[in-house]
Amino acid sequence: MVMKKIACILLYFLSTYAFGQSLTAIQYSMGFGTGDLGSYISKPSFRGATLDFRKLVQPNVGIGFELGWNVFYEGQSGEIYTRDKLSFSGNQYRYNNQFPLLFAGDYYLKPDEKINPFAGLGIGTMYSLRNTNMNVYTLEEDAWNFVLRPEVGVLIEATPEISFMLCGKYYHGFEAGDLPSQSYFALNIGFVFKK
Amino acid sequence: MRVPHDTVSVDKISFNQIYFRMTHYIKTMVVVIGLCIALQGCYPKGPEFVEDYDVVITYVKGDYDFKSKSTYALPDRIVKVTGNLAEGDDPVFIPDAIATLILTRIRTNMQSLGWEEVDISDDPDLLLTPASWESTTILYYYDYWYWWWGGYYPGWGYPPVYASSYSTGTLIMGLIDPSVVGADGNPVLQWTGAINGILTGAYDATRMNTAIDKTFIQSPYLKTN
Repeated sequence: MVMKKIACILLYFLSTYAFGQSLTAIQYSMGFGTGDLGSYISKPSFRGATLDFRKLVQPNVGIGFELGWNVFYEGQSGEIYTRDKLSFSGNQYRYNNQFPLLFAGDYYLKPDEKINPFAGLGIGTMYSLRNTNMNVYTLEEDAWNFVLRPEVGVLIEATPEISFMLCGKYYHGFEAGDLPSQSYFALNIGFVFKK
Repeated sequence: MRVPHDTVSVDKISFNQIYFRMTHYIKTMVVVIGLCIALQGCYPKGPEFVEDYDVVITYVKGDYDFKSKSTYALPDRIVKVTGNLAEGDDPVFIPDAIATLILTRIRTNMQSLGWEEVDISDDPDLLLTPASWESTTILYYYDYWYWWWGGYYPGWGYPPVYASSYSTGTLIMGLIDPSVVGADGNPVLQWTGAINGILTGAYDATRMNTAIDKTFIQSPYLKTN
């Protein structure tokens, strides 16, 4: 049953992609952790990608979906951790993978001009996978966070079919699973293919 | 009732349009997959050197008063805990040259914490028992220090079982108060320090010294001065 629904959704998007006005954006994404994520890993993420698809239901309104990935990483050397009577120290290697899966809508302010600012909102889920590695052991925690994601950006037309894209997104993942709230800013640059 | 053909609205899309759009879609997917592969290739790798895996673990029994003690004894060799004593074999030791360097570093740290080293025959407050753990499968082990303390504490048959499992080549240090024995008549570990896996492979003095120092740094309750 679930597979059927997924298949229907995929078919819908593929069909709208092939046979309607749409925007497909492929972006390189940089992430900056906030809250718990920022405390756990203070370094920004320079490894990430986002795929956005919007069907233009009006010239200035697009609805669709977003798939993304950012991995945050930081090594901690030699710090001492104490819990009750047990202390341990050594290098820690921390990883936080974020996979947002969102339904999204954008509003384009100047759809007929070469420079087209836009704002949008996404809602959906985000799979957060945290690994704390020490020696040959790993502590793995994960969660499916409910996510709200506001976004602002601009499209800069290069050709009638292709635009450059610059946008900022803020993912706020609510507390779930093994992890507290997981949130981060993302600064994305990429290309938009118009159909 | 039949509906006239001219009242039905149908989008007319040519074969060329479909071909162009599908080609465009495939190109986009190729770019996406290529981007994923490129990003996966630069996924952060973590540890690069063997010392990056070093972990120092210490455990203390919370109710022991170290500050009221001042002397300790240390053997001059480091025994390997292999399980062989259970089969009636003699204890085996790590090479003397390496053991001397390790024991010297332990002495330096104990001295800086205010401890005075004495011979085991001088009734020390504590016994420090270093060992190289060579197995992850032993749940109980026999008297690996009997060669050292047997003449002074002959009644000890089953020394304390170190908790958890350690990697092969782990350096383990224990502190035992000879005047404190458990319900079974055997000594009780008041403190344990473990450096995971450091006695495997080539001996690296800098790496070993750093780890031994860390063992005592993260045990400030051992300080008596």
